[in-house]
Amino acid sequence: MEFITFAESALNLLGFAVGLILGIFAYIGFRNTGSPTLFRLNISFFSISIGFGVVGFGYMFESLVLGYVKTDTWIQTLGIAIQTVGYFFIAFSHGIKSFFPKSRYFKSIVAPLFIIPANSIEHIIRSISFILLVYGTIETIMSYMENRKRSTIFVAAGLGLLALGEFLGWYSIVFPKSVLYFVSVSTKIVGLGALFVPISQVPLRGGVRFGNNI
Amino acid sequence: MAITYRTHMSIIGDILSTTRDEVPDESGASVTYLIRKANVSYARLSKILETLVSQGLLEQTSSERACKYRISERGREFLQAYRGFREFADSFGLRI
Repeated sequence: MEFITFAESALNLLGFAVGLILGIFAYIGFRNTGSPTLFRLNISFFSISIGFGVVGFGYMFESLVLGYVKTDTWIQTLGIAIQTVGYFFIAFSHGIKSFFPKSRYFKSIVAPLFIIPANSIEHIIRSISFILLVYGTIETIMSYMENRKRSTIFVAAGLGLLALGEFLGWYSIVFPKSVLYFVSVSTKIVGLGALFVPISQVPLRGGVRFGNNI
Repeated sequence: MAITYRTHMSIIGDILSTTRDEVPDESGASVTYLIRKANVSYARLSKILETLVSQGLLEQTSSERACKYRISERGREFLQAYRGFREFADSFGLRI
C-alpha cells in the first residue's frame, strides 16, 4: 500500500469518526427534544460520516484485502455522493429557516436548481457539495451577525473549510496525480473539527429521554 | 425591529422558563400570567399545557380561583437539555 493511499485512507477514517460523533450528538439532541432541525443535522452528519467511511474503508479494503495497486474511482465517487447528501441537509435546514420561516407545510418542498460546469459524475457531485457548503457558510455568517456567538463563527469557518476542501478536490481534475486530493481531505478534516466547538460548550447529561409527543 | 418567528419548541422553552424562573408565588403560574409572559394565545397555550402536564414536564396545582402550573423535576431536566441543544443549533445558525 502506497504511503499516499494509506494517508488518504487514514484521513478519511478520521473524517468518518468525527462525523459519527457529531451525528451521535445531534441524534441525542433529537431524542431529547424531538426537534426536526436536530433530526436533519443528525442525517447530515451521519451521511458525511458514512461518505468518509466508504472512501476510507474502501481504499483499505482494495489495497489490503484485494491487493489492488490503484484504487477504483467509483469508491471515491460513491463516498463524495453520500457526503453531498449530508451537505444538502445542512443547506436545506438553512433554506427552511430563510425561505419558509412561517409555514410547516412548505417544508417538504425541495426544488434546488444548480447550473454545474463539470464533465464527470464525481465532479458534478463535488460542485453541488461546494455550492451547498458555500450557501451554508454564508447563512451561518449571517447568523453570526445576529447572535454574535463565538461558536457560530467556528461553525462558519468549519463549513467554509469543508467548501474549500471540496473545491480543492474538484480542482484536482487539473492535477490528478498531485497531492491536491490529500490537501483537500486534510482541509475537510480541519473543517469538520471546527464543527466540534459547539459540542464542547454543551453540558452533556444522559439518561433523560423525552418523546416526540412534545 | 425585526419580528422573530418562534418555533413550537421555543414556545415550550419559554413556557417552561417562565414556570421555573418567573412564577409569582410558590403555587405556580396562572394561565393568564403564562399568556402574558410566553406571549401565546389562550387556545394554543391550553393545548401546550395539556401536553406538558401529560408528559410530566409541568405539575398542575389547583387553587381556589384557578389552575396553576409549576415546573416538575423532569421539566427542569428537559429545559436544561433543551437549552444545551438550542445552543448547539444556534451555533449552526439554526433554530430547534
